[in-house]
Amino acid sequence: MRIELDRPRCEGHGLCEEAAPELMHLDDDGELVIDVPEVDGADLAAANAAVRICPVAALRLAS
Amino acid sequence: MRTRAESDLDIWDDAVLLDPYPAYATLRETAGVVYLPKNDLYVLTRYDVIRDALNDPETFSSTSLGFNPMVNEALQGTSLASDPPVHTQLRAALSENLTPRALRGLKVVIDEKAENLVGGLVAGGSFEAIDALARAFPLEIVADLIGFTGQVKENMLRWGQAAMQVLGPLNQRTQENFPIAGELYGWCSTVTAEDLAPGSIGRGIFDAETRGDIPEGTAGHIIHQYLGAGVDTTIAAIGNAVALFGRHPEQLALLRENPDLVSSAFAEVLRFWPPIHVWGRTATRDTEVDGTLIPAGAQLGILFGAGNHDPRHYEDPDTFDITRNPVDHLSFGYGPHGCAGQGLARLEGHAIISALGRQVAEIQLGEEVRVPSNITRSIEELPVIKVVAA
Repeated sequence: MRIELDRPRCEGHGLCEEAAPELMHLDDDGELVIDVPEVDGADLAAANAAVRICPVAALRLAS
Repeated sequence: MRTRAESDLDIWDDAVLLDPYPAYATLRETAGVVYLPKNDLYVLTRYDVIRDALNDPETFSSTSLGFNPMVNEALQGTSLASDPPVHTQLRAALSENLTPRALRGLKVVIDEKAENLVGGLVAGGSFEAIDALARAFPLEIVADLIGFTGQVKENMLRWGQAAMQVLGPLNQRTQENFPIAGELYGWCSTVTAEDLAPGSIGRGIFDAETRGDIPEGTAGHIIHQYLGAGVDTTIAAIGNAVALFGRHPEQLALLRENPDLVSSAFAEVLRFWPPIHVWGRTATRDTEVDGTLIPAGAQLGILFGAGNHDPRHYEDPDTFDITRNPVDHLSFGYGPHGCAGQGLARLEGHAIISALGRQVAEIQLGEEVRVPSNITRSIEELPVIKVVAA
């Protein structure tokens, strides 16, 4: 599965980073960086949590 | 598909507005979608139903987010009442100055203001929590942020309250508040950069309009939404936090022992008593939700508090538990229209809860006063008859 970001929609609330710190982070400018876009196995649960928690629905998981 | 579930409840009845949770529980157990003939309204009651609808703007349009045609007409052209793709650009202009990255520099100032304000109140031994804290804090933060001064600053509270009331149905509350909301509307349509303090975000929005970064005429709309959406709601949340910690001293003790719970505690305050109890959408086509047909053109009412207390989603939902960390609560909405000011709301809420946790050992409450209100549910008076310093 691949984590996809709708960049214009992302407002940098950072809840995804709290849910999946190993997979994504906000950089020094507050822009979201997906560090691990392709996820499977153990990472999938964290990726799902990050997608779910985004308050503006800017993240999704695509196969 | 089944026959639609109905209830003879009036969601804007005074008694329901003051304590809606028993009614929410009945509606939620009836169905995920319930038609209320008295309000000509389909209400959404369960967590999943609400969240899915909020994330489907094609089916559930925001063009009738209010519950009377006059207010919906007046809101046309704002991001609040528009749908993608128009919404996308308006939203970007609205949220540009409100995102966490834009607000980062404010955290220190907001935390310090909260510490000082709470410190002063604790030193006094007793206080009235709504005027002295819940209203005083966001009014000052938002006034400084947007650059309101003088007479406008004095009108912020009544304008902000009225802007919410008039989203209701055409009842007495709405009609009494239209002239006041009209003052705000009128002021926002004539306000210029010079009316706002130099260096403020409000001034910056006008500069963006002059540069052509945002469409002509939108600066006033944006100021309107900052004031209309950012005052009454935050006031409700802060007042609720004091009331809930007063009622649940063991939760205040948990917070004092573990300052890392601040963010979870604010999310739980918002989940437990959402500042906004009903918000509108309209169906753009016939659609089936949870086995019920919602016809094209129907008015919907989203009951955030009903969804936040749905036992299908939250275990033991009627217990106030600050260790729960319900980050997915519905009180900021969700999806493309999710609260644009939630970053600022978190800064303010976290600052106050953190200050309470550090400085307060015990809150003894007198009797709270509530006044029925169409859209916002908040406490009108909350005497803290005794506060014990930590």
